[in-house]
Amino acid sequence: MDALISYLVNVISLGGTYALLALGLAVVFSVLGLINFAHGELMTLTGYVLLAGILTGQPFWVAVLIAVLACGMAAVLMEFAAFRPVRNASGATLLMTSFAVSMLLQVLFQNGISARGQAIPVPPWLTTSISIGNSQISKVQVMSITIGILALIALKIFFDRSYWGWAIRAAADDFEVVGLMGIKASRLISFAFLLSGLLAGIAGVLWVVQRGSVDPLMGFKPVLAAFIVAVIGGLGSLTGAVAGGFILSAIEIALQTWLPAGVMPYRDAITYTVVVIILSFFPNGIFGKRDQEKV
Amino acid sequence: MSDTLLTTTGLAVSYGAVKAVRGSDLEVKEGEVVALLGPNGAGKSSTLRAIVGLIKYQGSVTFAGEDLTGAPTERIVSMGISMVPEGRRLFPQLTVRENLLLGAPRKAKIDALFDELLEKLPILRERLNQQAGTLSGGEQQQVALARALMSKPRLLLIDEPSLGLAPTIVDAVYQILADLRKTGLAMVIVEQEVMRVLKFADRAYAMTTGQIALQGRAEDLLASNEIKKVYLGGA
Repeated sequence: MDALISYLVNVISLGGTYALLALGLAVVFSVLGLINFAHGELMTLTGYVLLAGILTGQPFWVAVLIAVLACGMAAVLMEFAAFRPVRNASGATLLMTSFAVSMLLQVLFQNGISARGQAIPVPPWLTTSISIGNSQISKVQVMSITIGILALIALKIFFDRSYWGWAIRAAADDFEVVGLMGIKASRLISFAFLLSGLLAGIAGVLWVVQRGSVDPLMGFKPVLAAFIVAVIGGLGSLTGAVAGGFILSAIEIALQTWLPAGVMPYRDAITYTVVVIILSFFPNGIFGKRDQEKV
Repeated sequence: MSDTLLTTTGLAVSYGAVKAVRGSDLEVKEGEVVALLGPNGAGKSSTLRAIVGLIKYQGSVTFAGEDLTGAPTERIVSMGISMVPEGRRLFPQLTVRENLLLGAPRKAKIDALFDELLEKLPILRERLNQQAGTLSGGEQQQVALARALMSKPRLLLIDEPSLGLAPTIVDAVYQILADLRKTGLAMVIVEQEVMRVLKFADRAYAMTTGQIALQGRAEDLLASNEIKKVYLGGA
C-alpha cells in the first residue's frame, strides 16, 4: 500500500510537470505547426531567473512569480525575433530555427553565466517531508503536485471559458478558419507563445526545485520527454498532452520503482519501447487527428 | 441594387506553376445574389479565398469603395465580408455556442446578436452546448452559416453550400439563404448544383480553367445553350 501511495505521488508529480511542458509545446504547435525545441531553454532561463531572484534576497514566491513571468515574456520575444521572420516558411525551416535558438541560448548560458550547474537554494521549509501512512512525501513533491494540478485546472477553465482559449482550441483544429473569424493571426501566435512560455516557466520552477540545481543544458531532457508526451497524446491535441504526460510518467516511475537492478541501465530503452508499442496501436497519438497535415 | 459592393479586377491566383485563376473581373451589387459556376478546378474556390485574403493574388479587390487589395483577412472580415468555407470547416471539438462566439467581433453585443441569429435559425438553440463535430451535415451547414453571420457581414461568400447534403437538407439550406436575401445581404455562392443556384441567383459567372467564360443574368444563363451543353450534356 505504501509503495502504491509513493508510486502515485511520484506519477502525479512528474506527470503534472510533463503535462505542463507538453501543453506548452502543443499550444505553439496548434498555431504554427512547429515543435519548439527551444522550449527547454525557456525552462533553463526560468531556473536562472529564479536563482537570481533568490540570490538578490527576494522572497521565494516573489522570485517564482518573477521567473515565470520572465519566461512568458522571453517566449513572446523568441517568437518575435526568431519565428516571425520565417513564419510562412516550411515546417523544416521552422524546426531548424527552433534548434538554432535552442543552441544559441545554451551557448549564451554557458558563456554568460557558467557551464557548471548552480545550486538553487530552496527555503528550508521546502526540504522537510510529510507523512501519509508509513510513506514520507517531500514538501517539494507536495508543492509540485499542488501547483501542477492548480495550473491544469486554471488552464482547463481558460480553454473552456475564455475567447482566447476557444481561439487556441480552434486553431488546433483549423488555423486558417480562425482567420476567417476575424482573429489577427500574429496576435494569436504571440498569445500562444506567451501561454507556452508561462507553462514552460511553471514547469521550469517545478523541475529545478525538484532537482535542486540549474545548468545550461538541463532543458534538453525535459523537452525531449515533453515531445514524446505530445506524440503519445497526439500532436496538437491539448487533451492528449495532459493524458500523455501522465502516461509517460506512469511508465517511467513504474520502471524506476520495480525494474530489477540488473536491468535498470535499460530503463530508457524499455520506456521508449513501450512508447513505440502504444504508437503502433495509435499511430497519430491517442487523441491525435487521423490525418495530420502539419509537420 | 445599383450600388456596387464588391469589384475584383484582373484577379489572378497561382499555386506554383499552376495558374488557378487567370484575371477574373467580378462585380457584386448591394443585396445581390451572384452565383459562381464551373467544373472542379475552374478557380471558383480560389477566387473566394483570394477575396477574403486567405491566399496571395494579383489584381485588385475593392469593397464598399475601399481598396482591400492585399489586406489581411481580419481587416476584410471587419469591413463586412464573411465566408462559409467548403466543407463547412466548423471547429469540431468546440460547442456550437463556442463556434458562434468565435465568429463574433470581440466587442459585439453578443446577447443581441445571438437572439437575432436564433430567431433566423431556431434549430441551433437546442444544439448550443453540443460539440459541433457531432452534428449532422445539415446542422453543421446551419452552424457554419450562423458563424459567418455573427460578424454582421454585408457580403457573404458561400463555398458549395449543398456539398454532401441530402436533397431535402439542401432545400432547407436554400430556404435559409432565401430568408437571408430578404434582409438585404449580398451573397456570392459557389455551387456545383448549377440549375438550383441559377434559379436562386440574380446574376452568375461561369468559370472554366481560371477564366470567366460566361456571365449574365441568372435566368438568361439558365436558358442558354452553352450552360446546357456544359452542365446538362446537351444543347
